[in-house]
Amino acid sequence: MIVDVNAYLGHFAFRRLRHNTAESLLALMDSKRIDKAVVSSASAITYRNAQAGNEEVAEEVRGRSYRLIPFAVINPFYAGWQDDLKICHEQFGMVGLRLYPKWHNYQLSSLCCRQLIDAATERGMIISIPIRVEDNRQRSWLLNVPDVPLEEIVELVKARSKARFILLNGIGYTRCPLGRKDNGLPCNYAIGLSRLSAVLANELGQLITNLGAERVMFGTGMPFNYPDPALVKLEVLDTSEPEKEKIRSKNAMAWLRL
Amino acid sequence: MTIPRIISGPQAFQPCISRRTLLKSSAALAMGAAVLPPAHSMAVEQSVAGTSSDPIRNGKVIDCHAHLNHRSRATWEADDRKLIEAADKLRIDQLCCSILTPHRPATADGFRECNRWTADGMRRFRGRVLGYCYVNPGYGREALEEIRRCVEDRGFIGIKLYNEYTCTEPVVFPIVELAIELGVPILHHASHSHYFVEDQPRMSDAGHLAELARHYPEAMLICAHISGGGDWEWTVKAARHAPNVLLDTSGSVTDEGTVEMAVAVAGIDRVVFGCDSSMTAGVGKIRGANLSTQDKQKILGGNMVRLLGRRKS
Repeated sequence: MIVDVNAYLGHFAFRRLRHNTAESLLALMDSKRIDKAVVSSASAITYRNAQAGNEEVAEEVRGRSYRLIPFAVINPFYAGWQDDLKICHEQFGMVGLRLYPKWHNYQLSSLCCRQLIDAATERGMIISIPIRVEDNRQRSWLLNVPDVPLEEIVELVKARSKARFILLNGIGYTRCPLGRKDNGLPCNYAIGLSRLSAVLANELGQLITNLGAERVMFGTGMPFNYPDPALVKLEVLDTSEPEKEKIRSKNAMAWLRL
Repeated sequence: MTIPRIISGPQAFQPCISRRTLLKSSAALAMGAAVLPPAHSMAVEQSVAGTSSDPIRNGKVIDCHAHLNHRSRATWEADDRKLIEAADKLRIDQLCCSILTPHRPATADGFRECNRWTADGMRRFRGRVLGYCYVNPGYGREALEEIRRCVEDRGFIGIKLYNEYTCTEPVVFPIVELAIELGVPILHHASHSHYFVEDQPRMSDAGHLAELARHYPEAMLICAHISGGGDWEWTVKAARHAPNVLLDTSGSVTDEGTVEMAVAVAGIDRVVFGCDSSMTAGVGKIRGANLSTQDKQKILGGNMVRLLGRRKS
């Protein structure tokens, strides 16, 4: 069983994505033996009204939610986010959020964002935060969106210990408290492996040593990314098969209550 | 090279990926892979990388863009070993390596020292490490002498140029002419961003390399790391009409479709596999590309073998 906590549907404003419909993503997943994937709207990253992207995803995954697990993209500074959250959770069956503080231009420490996180936590939803969407060096001439600084994540996980966070598309965790052993932080976050090294510096191995395999989850970033680099990491990772199984699926299934 | 095959089930999961997996994965997508077993129970081929005395043969996986570590780094020796261990795990047979000075522009003493260490790496990892001679073209005669020494006396396979000069500056031309004379490729650092990269004001991009290639159609120019952070779609398109510019797939970016677009635009014979230290990214994107096994073999090593076969000495 492989569960991917880092997948997307829809269009991205700055690059053509393939395999970005439910049907084509499932075909890609089949070819890679990925059983389930957490998906959110790629379009909602740049839509002003992110809820339109959530509606598109809800439509796409209808009848396929046994494999495609939808998360909502919510901008807590946009009108009606409370209504959107309720609809996404109660009508669309979205069991988590994806937050884009830099793309949507707000602070993780802002009152509105904390209110959103509290409301989602109250509903038992997971909050995932992509540290980046794409490499900043290939950005369009129209905008310059920085990565989410890991220091801001540190403050967030401390401030909201009851929330559950999945951090995606990040790197350099071992150079900050998030990836260090006995870091004094609540164990309320897990780290997706899509950009972590599994050889040479082997940050993936370091995180397993420091935090435990329970805190790492498999995720590819498809269809933005080829899924294969993440699969290769699991294959070359120097750890036991039971630990790999946790990373491959068990951790995500426990968090998602699958 | 002997490649014994070991069939392993889920209980005996092998930590290393297989060449077969590397080559087959995308074809599986095209064929609708339902009949294939789970990835972690696929047959695993174990190669004995590093046992060859023949550095350039067909059928190998050659990383066209790798680096050994500068010895100002305290852990350089262990880190060099890690590179080879990573290559072992990923079934990369050979790594085309250079060592760059930590600070640039490189001095003549600086690049000569780096090349001595690269030569030492070629001895320490015989058959696994192939050397690029790194020079700063601004040193004129000294740079040319160093290239000749490295290629003719030390067996280096090519030249590595970084960002000291944009490749279209005349100071670079004698280097290109010497590369043509020796029949060796130039791996040129390159990137294209839609903003000015302040710390690399003389960065080359694929457009510069295409322009250089038009002046020197006999040159073999490798445009480094198309997945190295710049706009790879721009890079691929800029290189389209330069048949003697090859595209190196290395870099940390794993954007889906990169390799396929490079092949579609530049042609299968002009795409070469590289990692530039992003090892699983490098291997994964080739494995994931929706290309035939034959095309992947060309990218993984066939094209580089062909290129290295044009050496004149």
